[in-house]
Amino acid sequence: MTKNSTPMVKITNVHKVFGGTLHVLCGIDLEVNKGETIVILGASGSGKSTLLRCINFLEEPTAGTIEVDGIAINAGENDKTRENHILDIRKKTGMCFQSFNLFPHMTVLENIIEGPVTVLGQKKKQAIVYAEELLDWVGLTEKRDEHPSRLSGGQQQRVAIARSLAMKPKVMLFDEPTSALDPELVGEVVDVMERLAKEGMTIIAVTHEMHFARDVADRVFIMDGGNWIEEGPPEKIFNNPEHQRTRQFLAHIL
Amino acid sequence: MTANTTLPGAGGIPLEAQQVLNQIEEKKSKYRRNMIIAFVVLIIFMVTTLIVLGLDFKFMAKWLPFILAGSGYTFLVAFLAISLACILAVVGALGRLSTNPIFNSIATSYVSLIRGTPLLVQVYMWYLALPQIGKALEAYGIPGIQRLLTLPAVPAGILALGVCYGAYMTETVRAGIQSIKIGQTEAAKALGMTKAQTMKRVIFPQALRVIIPPVSNEFIAMIKDSSLVSLMGVWELSYRAIKVGRRHFQSLEMLIMVAFIYWIMCMILQFVQEKIERHMARGDRRIS
Repeated sequence: MTKNSTPMVKITNVHKVFGGTLHVLCGIDLEVNKGETIVILGASGSGKSTLLRCINFLEEPTAGTIEVDGIAINAGENDKTRENHILDIRKKTGMCFQSFNLFPHMTVLENIIEGPVTVLGQKKKQAIVYAEELLDWVGLTEKRDEHPSRLSGGQQQRVAIARSLAMKPKVMLFDEPTSALDPELVGEVVDVMERLAKEGMTIIAVTHEMHFARDVADRVFIMDGGNWIEEGPPEKIFNNPEHQRTRQFLAHIL
Repeated sequence: MTANTTLPGAGGIPLEAQQVLNQIEEKKSKYRRNMIIAFVVLIIFMVTTLIVLGLDFKFMAKWLPFILAGSGYTFLVAFLAISLACILAVVGALGRLSTNPIFNSIATSYVSLIRGTPLLVQVYMWYLALPQIGKALEAYGIPGIQRLLTLPAVPAGILALGVCYGAYMTETVRAGIQSIKIGQTEAAKALGMTKAQTMKRVIFPQALRVIIPPVSNEFIAMIKDSSLVSLMGVWELSYRAIKVGRRHFQSLEMLIMVAFIYWIMCMILQFVQEKIERHMARGDRRIS
């Protein structure tokens, strides 16, 4: 697609060490272009979620550089601007969690306008207009004034997606968004993700939804032991994997 | 709240199911009835005891206005002290959770020192010992400090109670904040919120719900501990009751009366607490 421009997300030689000994990410590189959908696959504990969380600095990379939409932060640098750069990157990236993490003391609408109003300083009225558009887009208009506890898991995750989108992010990160859902609720969330991809959002997703990886992703990455072992378009990864570990992994989940 | 025996689709409920629902409802109403009976019996028992004791109700009625006039001090002291305690508790909790070694160690020693010494000693410390500190400081060349540190009884009492309860409540608030799942902080961070925004908009409102019952506990305890200001000669509720009782050799009447006044005040507080709790429970699945 738009290969000519600079990448939206650029991860260079990122390492993450937990507790001084646990080497979870071992020099990861990744470039994601604008509008691309990337799916990261791998066994649990392989470091997929950690990588995703390093992109918006929920985890601090131990070494390496993260760049999102032109804002680059090096793990080593530690000056005054760093905190602000991290906040800037977070404003440009939306994240959806496995456990939704909606704010239980707010209604659905309040959840969605919280970011724009508190972080971006928008007027409440203006934020509500866009929030209602988003609610319509995820098909939950009638849940506008409910509290999250009254919603099903699928509905909660759709609200969580709307909450992230309210910040008008440049990149969406999905951290196993369907893993906590009952099987019959997975479809509605994947559906929203798929529409998001079609509308040109840049997406990096860690998921076990093979349908999403196969049909929606532009490129699929396989991680093992904190390193990429294989990457490529989904047809190649699924039909003709090169690496033995990839074959093993796919055999397990397909 | 109550079982829905009359759902919109009640016609569709099979007969046996309806019977079970009715039984549940019956059990509930029986429980409520027995509860009321138990309370009424208890009240009758208490009233008869009071009559059997041969209390001088006329005497009690005569002194009631005088005693009640002391409740103003009780409320003033308790209200201002709890306000101070709340502020100290929030600041203290943030200090206890802070990664800054200076804030953290100040907050930690505050809690340790205050919780480790008797309130009675602290009250005298504020009232009797502070002026001496002032005197020492004045000797080092800070003019006017002794006068500033020589506190009248009521402010000394408010400070003593507020600082003391603030230490206990610091731990309550800290535990409340820590009870909120990490995912909430992460979601707030992911939206780009600063630490302060996260605390104010996401963590604290949720922690408040957890904190309200134990804080109400402190509140109720505070109402009663406010009688400690009588040590400094403030004519508050219990001081008046004890004085009058002693002078007329009718301590029993006076003590029972003042106990009832405290009890009623605390019942009102408890009522308010339940109201607030119910209000805070919005968004909770358990109470709809």
